Amino acid sequence: MAAAQNKVKLFENVLNQEIISLEEIKKLCFSGCPEEASIRATCWKLLLNYIPPETADWKSHLKKQRESYAKFIDELVQNSVENDNDSSTKDHPLNTNPQSDWNQYFKDNEMLCQIDRDCRRLSPGLAFYQYETKYPYGKIFKSNHETNPLRKRLAGIALSAEEIHTNKVGTFQKNKEIKKKAPEQLSDGEEYHWEVVERILFVYTKLNKGQGYVQGMNEVIGPLYYTFATDPDQSGQENAEADTFWCFMNLMSEVRDNFIKSLDESKVGITHKMQQVMEVLEKIDTPLYIYLTKNLEVKPQYFCFRWITVLLTQEFDLPNVVRIWDSLLSHEKRFDFLIYICCAMLKLIRGDILKKDFTAALKTLQVRLY
Amino acid sequence: MLVLVLGDLHIPHRSGGLPAKFKRLLVPGKIQHILCTGNLCTRETYDYLKSLANDVHVVKGDFDEVSTYPEQKVVTVGQFRIGLCHGHQIIPWGDMESLAIVQRQLDVDILITGHTHKFEAFEHENKFFINPGSATGAYNTLDRDVIPSFVLLDIQKTTIVAYVYKIRDDDVVVEKVEYKKP
Repeated sequence: MAAAQNKVKLFENVLNQEIISLEEIKKLCFSGCPEEASIRATCWKLLLNYIPPETADWKSHLKKQRESYAKFIDELVQNSVENDNDSSTKDHPLNTNPQSDWNQYFKDNEMLCQIDRDCRRLSPGLAFYQYETKYPYGKIFKSNHETNPLRKRLAGIALSAEEIHTNKVGTFQKNKEIKKKAPEQLSDGEEYHWEVVERILFVYTKLNKGQGYVQGMNEVIGPLYYTFATDPDQSGQENAEADTFWCFMNLMSEVRDNFIKSLDESKVGITHKMQQVMEVLEKIDTPLYIYLTKNLEVKPQYFCFRWITVLLTQEFDLPNVVRIWDSLLSHEKRFDFLIYICCAMLKLIRGDILKKDFTAALKTLQVRLY
Repeated sequence: MLVLVLGDLHIPHRSGGLPAKFKRLLVPGKIQHILCTGNLCTRETYDYLKSLANDVHVVKGDFDEVSTYPEQKVVTVGQFRIGLCHGHQIIPWGDMESLAIVQRQLDVDILITGHTHKFEAFEHENKFFINPGSATGAYNTLDRDVIPSFVLLDIQKTTIVAYVYKIRDDDVVVEKVEYKKP
């Protein structure tokens, strides 16, 4: 216990300085952040360049960033196409012209549909995302919508309808049709955590049109949002959405190349990174390398691809992922360090792999390891 | 929310099908709800509508072969109550005062009727009346030259924008009519 308290003290000493030394923070974070007193959230924000090292600037900086995120929300998260009262505009919902706002709206809907599908099943082993958030859309953003307008865009609910029959005497009879409610939907003004993640991803994709949404981004954003939304600090928790968005932006600027298909074969692409894993493995564990590549002919794509693109979020339970990320974010080389983690993972199960044939070995590699 | 309003298709008796230009516009995935004023007339046409949107509401016209449709229906979208009725029961056909009686009986903000095969959208005593016309341009009892038309409603909190699609000189023209709930 004493050791843990010591650690908190060490962190607090560094964090309480006027100008925080990033070097020291990195050193401390590398061996894991303590859970107490929103240290992790603060460290991650520092490591991802979201807040400056000057403590005095934090307040104004955070305020500015959060406001501009709210502005994005206001502009981009709409339930319908803005109806400009100008009757001369030729745009209409069924317009097939690529420049049409409505056409764009339906394209966004397709993308949103994909994001929605992925976010609903975010970390199925963890109940967190299926809980209601304390800070839903209506509370955080002052807009004319009470609920997240995105939800209405996808809701496939049938309209409530009543059938009306007149009998021979001429009196009316009303038959209410049973309204089919969409499953697991909360009432207006309430929101699940995964819906917040969905909104962040939607805004991100709208702002990064060239890249678009790729499956796996939801996994990358998961640990960030989890960390900020469980921040013991009240205001941190309240603004988890905006903070997650900006940190995700910064993080993605470093790993986005993994998600761009046309770069796959290039030097920055995913293929190259997987190659690096195999090269390192050859150096540190030649027998395993030979067994994998020569005897079994297992390609790194079969297992490494997922490890690298989603930054290991799929291989471990979330609390462990968060711990690994502590080191990952604080290491000098950051995502090159990931390659070494991958090798370490391989080494840990080497005994298992060396005994098995192709199918069994692949199964060992692909299922959750720990 | 987008709601497609159409009716009086009379397939296959008076028309072979929707105009190709309409068919090209009406693709699945855009519209969530369909309100149909009836006279489809066959099951196959209903199935086609069902392929465009999951939620299809139909009332019975005088030529419908499916007998399970109700005579009238009231659908609620947000703050709006929308009444749906084919219109052959309302005499004289398409008469404003007669329509207003039905509107009051059903207690709706918007009354949608068909049967006359003539597009109409107007406000009367602060209520909104829509007749989408015939989507196939099928002839009716009194008229041979019918312009194919349907209506798409964009329903927002307190306003409705009705986009009217017509075929004029072989081209689709779109007009816009707005209604604000008082």
